[in-house]
Amino acid sequence: MLWFERAVVSALVASDDPAVRSAVEAFVDGSLRDKPEHLRVGVAGESILLGGYAVGLRAVGRLDGADALRARLESWESGPIGVVRQYVRAMKSLVIFAENELATSRAA
Amino acid sequence: METLDTEILVIGSGAGGSITAARLADAGRQVVVVEEGPWVDAGAHEPFSLEEMVAKYRHHGASLALGNPNIAYAEGRCVGGSTEVNSGLYHRLPESLVADWEARYAIDEFTPAELGRHADRVEQDLGVSTLPGAPPPSSAMLERGATKLGWRHVEFARVFRYDAAGRGTKQTMSRTMLPRALGAGARIIADCRVQRLVCDGDRIVGARVRRRHAGGAVERLVIRADHVFVCAGAVETPALLQRSGIRRNAGNGLKMHPTVKIAARFPHPIDHGDVPMHRVTEFAPSLTIGGSASRRGHIAMALADTGLPFDAALADWENISVYYAAIRSEGSGRVLAVPGLASPVVTYKLTDGDLSRLARGIVHLGELLLAAGATELHPSILGGPVVRRVDELGAWWDALTRSRANLMTVHLTSTVRMGEDRQRTGADSFGRVWGHRNLRVNDASLLPDAPGVNPQAAIMAIAARNCHEFLAS
Repeated sequence: MLWFERAVVSALVASDDPAVRSAVEAFVDGSLRDKPEHLRVGVAGESILLGGYAVGLRAVGRLDGADALRARLESWESGPIGVVRQYVRAMKSLVIFAENELATSRAA
Repeated sequence: METLDTEILVIGSGAGGSITAARLADAGRQVVVVEEGPWVDAGAHEPFSLEEMVAKYRHHGASLALGNPNIAYAEGRCVGGSTEVNSGLYHRLPESLVADWEARYAIDEFTPAELGRHADRVEQDLGVSTLPGAPPPSSAMLERGATKLGWRHVEFARVFRYDAAGRGTKQTMSRTMLPRALGAGARIIADCRVQRLVCDGDRIVGARVRRRHAGGAVERLVIRADHVFVCAGAVETPALLQRSGIRRNAGNGLKMHPTVKIAARFPHPIDHGDVPMHRVTEFAPSLTIGGSASRRGHIAMALADTGLPFDAALADWENISVYYAAIRSEGSGRVLAVPGLASPVVTYKLTDGDLSRLARGIVHLGELLLAAGATELHPSILGGPVVRRVDELGAWWDALTRSRANLMTVHLTSTVRMGEDRQRTGADSFGRVWGHRNLRVNDASLLPDAPGVNPQAAIMAIAARNCHEFLAS
């Protein structure tokens, strides 16, 4: 899992429980590792590009903290660039599914 | 390198592979089944849970057919294949479709009566039944909505057996045909991926495999066989053939049932442990309406599809269930094995007509759910408005575009079509791969088209028919 992917997961997980956050990250990590190679390369490439962009934004003080990254992801999700929309959607789906399934199993 | 000799090698243990193994072992043939995935106890995980996703699905259930739009798909990767992870719905091929395929692809001995004979036996072996009592609320909502609108609907049978208390157990391949094959002397090797088939002229003499042992050690093995049946599913079967240098009509013409979804909120609790067994067939076979897995994780994902805030709806998740509209698609796709990559590249080209049918499907599904009493509908359309009244549904027609649609499928077929028309098929009428005397395909790849219903009944009946022909010949 690349550093920006970890930052994205961290921004998207709603729970403050370290165990839940860690379990979600482990699931996303496993899912990314298990992806077909061509898809994994595509996701990794986007992570590097978007991560670089995020570093640039952070350097000029326009992306401070998880809330700012979450807001940026939301704008990317409804933005005009298809592959970026799909990137956000793919990461968000993994996080949302894992976090809510974990919530169910913990409640049980 | 170690070698293993057998009379018959079956590659894959899903609906096609398990029926093949059981039928041939029952007939006294020496059979070895290799399965890429692990052997997981059928009851080890809750159906459709996170744990099941990790243990039994290929790519954690997150595979993708590239296209405009991309279409997510899921398939099983464990002993028993997708029968271990699907909803168990069982629907024989419609007779009109059998006649159409027989004529269009020149398939010999492919009649409703012939298939029906094999389906009868499969159903006896597995146990195919409808619910012993009233349907659960998630299924009853489909029935209620269809009845109010005057639309045809039906409770589909499932591959389930029920005990006296009405508790159902899905009759997966690992609970039925695989134990039967083992009992008849077959051997099943799990965690064993076939890298390529070994050809000698027009004969396949064996397969090179990599077997992963419990400690992580990898063993390379050559399995020599007199006959090889490839039953690895509509993606992996053509990919294996291509890796082995067999490319003629292998991987072209992928078909699927593209699907749109709605998360529907009701004013009362809905069950979440099973998949609804009712289907609305008013628009079949071009469009089918049904219900999906609706655990909390699925509901959250479905709510998130709009890209709109959904926290308030999710707080009420116990009143929400996910439903779908699936189409028979005019489009088609490809499976391409790329040298150096373990996974093939899958593409799918959705036509404008398909998109129009999907828009029609999601609007019809919305009508049905509102008629059933739903109070709020969240479509799988990015930016698609949440709907509460029938007159608001029209907004979805324009909202469902290529860039905004979130599509998925669980039915993939037709990548090595069967029939005597050599221009359009990869195998003959009984699955024998053209140009290879002892190589057969016996899975979803053979279906000439996506059938518009869950394909597992068709796969099983065709696999049993092809085994019968093999044994007779």
